[in-house]
Formats: sequence, structure tokens, C-alpha cells
Amino acid sequence: MTTVPQVEPALPAAAAPRRPRIRWGQVAAAVALPLALVLVWQISAWIMQPREWILPSPATIARTGWDVRERLWHHAQWTMLITVVGFALATVVGCLLAALIARSRVAGLMLYPWIIVSQTIPLVALAPLLVLWMPEFGAMVTLAALISIFPVIVAGVDGLRSTDPELIRAVRTLGASPGWTWWHVRVPAALPRLFTGLRLAAVFAVTGAVVGELVASDRGLGALTRLSAGQFETPVTFAAVVILALIGIAMFLIVAVAEWAALPYLRRGTRPGSR
Amino acid sequence: MPHGYDTEIAIRVDDVHLALGDDPPLAVLAGVDLEACAGEVTAIIGPSGCGKSTLLDVIAGLVVPDSGSVVTASSGRPVLMPQRDALMPWRTLRDNVAAAAELRGTPRGDAQALADREVARVGLAGFGDHYPHALSGGMRQRGALARTLLAESDIWLLDEPFGALDALTRSEMHRVLMAVREQVAPTIVLVTHEIAEAVAIADSVLVASPGPMRIVSRMRVADAGPDAAHEVLASLRAAGVAA
Ligand SMILES: Nc1ncnc2c1ncn2[C@@H]1O[C@H](COP(=O)(O)OP(=O)(O)O)[C@@H](O)[C@H]1O
Ligand SMILES: [Mg+2]
Repeated sequence: MTTVPQVEPALPAAAAPRRPRIRWGQVAAAVALPLALVLVWQISAWIMQPREWILPSPATIARTGWDVRERLWHHAQWTMLITVVGFALATVVGCLLAALIARSRVAGLMLYPWIIVSQTIPLVALAPLLVLWMPEFGAMVTLAALISIFPVIVAGVDGLRSTDPELIRAVRTLGASPGWTWWHVRVPAALPRLFTGLRLAAVFAVTGAVVGELVASDRGLGALTRLSAGQFETPVTFAAVVILALIGIAMFLIVAVAEWAALPYLRRGTRPGSR
Repeated sequence: MPHGYDTEIAIRVDDVHLALGDDPPLAVLAGVDLEACAGEVTAIIGPSGCGKSTLLDVIAGLVVPDSGSVVTASSGRPVLMPQRDALMPWRTLRDNVAAAAELRGTPRGDAQALADREVARVGLAGFGDHYPHALSGGMRQRGALARTLLAESDIWLLDEPFGALDALTRSEMHRVLMAVREQVAPTIVLVTHEIAEAVAIADSVLVASPGPMRIVSRMRVADAGPDAAHEVLASLRAAGVAA
């Protein structure tokens, strides 16, 4: 490589990048509140002794949950499958629709109002119909996708419309084609907002799956909460709800990790002033 | 040649008219004439919103004027450096600079090596792996300058390139620009709203009217000597810009 004369003043050498480390203090802060809540609940249960089918104690829920673990796992698998497939469907179709709306004025005018209107009707009401029209799995997945697609579309459209015009101006004079500008400027610029939508969608997908199971299925944790509550197996109902919460948290975290991996430039420590 | 200097003309803008937007269209350029000599810095100074950026878009070929002509004696296309956010936040400094070569069809590996060379040239050696967020405003503009260099265009359109920087960083950037210019000798059109900047960097200064834009006066900085700044100010006053 040829050497080129450098302009003065050259800047001092860059500092080595910081390594990420686990902050145990923050981990403790995150689990403190739920832990305290469970503790208060358990102690009140000891003192007040409510009937088990009305409000079981955390210990009872945990014990019962362990006893019926195979039943819980059977239903949890089904719910997770529906959640993940529904979320994936919402992501793919949502991104395609967002791209269409952001690229074409006509598509925006034709689609966007209807997508918003679709969110004002209670989608739960569709569950019995969907079950009539297609196999149960398809119906549940469709419902989960319908509920979680909205934040994907809105965040995707906003993201794609958020590109800085100065940036587009600059790369066009460097010879960027519209295709290059789309894939290398507009899409990457949209990703931070899109991921915010995806995080919401991941949690909505769980809600969608559960709601579908609750009203129109005999499988899945949603169905289990309905059936067990009907049989006064309240500790099982609670155990199912806890697992649902864990699935929701897991979905959220999976998307957050994907975001961390996909957007290295937004990681903490890569920006001055961030902590 | 109207101004009588025996330098080659690199950019000739002739009676360019342009209206933008609809109902009603807004006249932005109203008969702009401009000549920029090869290898020189031509500054355009005018009030904000008068149409300077639009004029650069026309020279860059991004916008087609309603009438009039733009002729550039460049082998390639002019390259434009905007005031801010010139770098893609999701690319490292090296990858940002390399984009200029990638877009000319250079394979990625070669583009990166070329980028490292230009990054070093503007004094940012060792910062290639940094994201723009982690760089100061002045460093980002050095990066944008490195990318402009790698575009290998002989016409540079600088749209208020240092407008967002503090005074100290700005004068440092002036020195960087001057040093780079000595090495590659591009024709530069520099849009600015700073009289001091125009006089310090440019060989000639054009004063633009408030929009719709025309060029109302032109002067050679060398001819004006130490009075250059006062002359520019006087022209701006005559155009009804400065108080
Ligand atoms: N696409 C557009 N549609 C309508 N008006 C525009 C458009 N782009 C710029 N303008 C108007 O043209 C005028 C000149 O803008 P610009 O060239 O950015 O000015 P300057 O760079 O001198 O500050 C402004 O009044 C601006 O509002
Ligand atoms: Mg401007």
C-alpha cells in the first residue's frame, strides 16, 4: 500500500474499546421487586390462610406446578409453537406490508387506513370464526399473527420514513442506485424503530395465542387456564399463568438479544455519554 | 470568459430556473449564473433558505432544472458533502468511507484498504473501527472528507460542511481541507453563511440574493486583498441580506 501524506494535526490514537461485563447490581435490582412480592404473598398466605381454590400461596402453586409438570409442559409446548410461528408470520408479513406502504403512496393510502381500522375491532371475536374456517393450529397462529402484526407495520413504516434526507443526498452523489439506497440506507435506518415494534409484537403474540386458546381451543396454556379454573384447580391455573409470563419474558428477551446482535452501533459503551 | 481570468472553467451554470413543490410551486432558483474555475474554491454565501442547497443538487445532477443549463468539465459525477449526518450510523468509520469505493464497483476488501488510506490522510488513523456516534463532530466531518476524497471526483460540492462545528474545530477543519486540497486539487464549490469562512478558504466569493435565488455579485478574494471581508459584507447589504 502506498503511503499518503497525512494532514496535521493528526488526532491522538483511539482508546481500546471497553469489554462488556455482567453488572450484578443491576441483576439484583431487576429481580428484587418480584422476589419481594412473592415473599409478601407467601407470608400473608401463612397468616390469613385463604382457601386454596380462591388464592393459593406461592408455595402451593410451585408444588402443584411441579406435580402436574407433564400436563403443563404438554400445553406449554403448544402455546410456544403457536406464539413463535404467529410472531414469525407477523414479522415477515408485517415487514413486507411496511415496505409496500413506505415505498408506494398508493399502497399507503389503500392499506394503512384499513390496517388501523382492523385494530379497533376486538380480534378475539374472530377466534370462533377462524376455527370454523381452518384447522385449529392455523386458526390459533392466524390470531396470534393478527394481534402482533400491528406494531410491526407501524414501527416499520415509521422507521422506513425516518431516513435522513441529507444521508440519501450524499450517497446518491457517490453513485448509489435506488436499490442500494434502499438496502444500505433506508432499511438499516429503519431497524432501530422496527425492533421496538418487534419487541411489542413478541409479547402480543403470546397474548394472541392465549386468547385464541382461551375462547376456541382445548389445547395450550390458554385452554388450560379456562379448564382448570372451571374445575377449581386454581393452583394449576396460577402455574399456567406463571409459565405464560415466563414465555412472554423469554420472547421479549429473544428479540432484545437479536436487536443487540443486529445493531452493534447502538450498544451501551459504544456511544459517549451512555452508561 | 466573462470574468477575464485565464483559468479553465470546471462548472458553468447558465440561467438556471427551478420551482419546487406543487400548489403553488415555489420559485427557488430564478436565473442563476455561475462559473467555477478548475482547481479553485468558489464560495457561495447567502441567507439561509435562499436556495443554495437546491443549487448544489442541480449541479450534482440530483435535480433537473426547469430551464437553463449546467455543464461540468468533470470526468465523473460531482460529489456532495452535506452539513450533518453525512455518515451512516450503522457503519464503522472505515466502512462509511469505503462506501465511496464500493459504489464505484471496487471489491470490498480493496475498498477497505483504500478507506484506511484516506482515513489516515485526514488524521483519523486508528479510528477506523469506531462508529460515528463515538466520534466528535469534527472527527465525523473529517470522516466525511475522507469519503469525499475516496469518491475520486474532481468536483466537490460542500454544503455548509463546517456549519455545525464550534469555532475552534471549524478553523482546524479549514486547515485540514486546505491540506487535502493541496494534495488532490479538486474544484470546490463551498456553500457557507460565514463571511470569514468564505474569505479564508475561497479564491472567489459569490453572493446570493434571498430566495428566489440569483447571484448578485462576485469577487476574487486575491483582488480585494485585506478588504475582502468588507466587500462581501457590502454586497450582502446591497442585496438586502445583512443589516
Ligand atoms: N422539495 C421541496 N419542495 C418544496 N420546497 C422546497 C423543497 N426543497 C426546498 N424547498 C424550499 O426551497 C427553498 C430553498 O431551500 P434550500 O436550497 O435548502 O436553501 P438553503 O440551502 O439556501 O438554506 C426553501 O424555501 C425551501 O423551503
Ligand atoms: Mg442548505
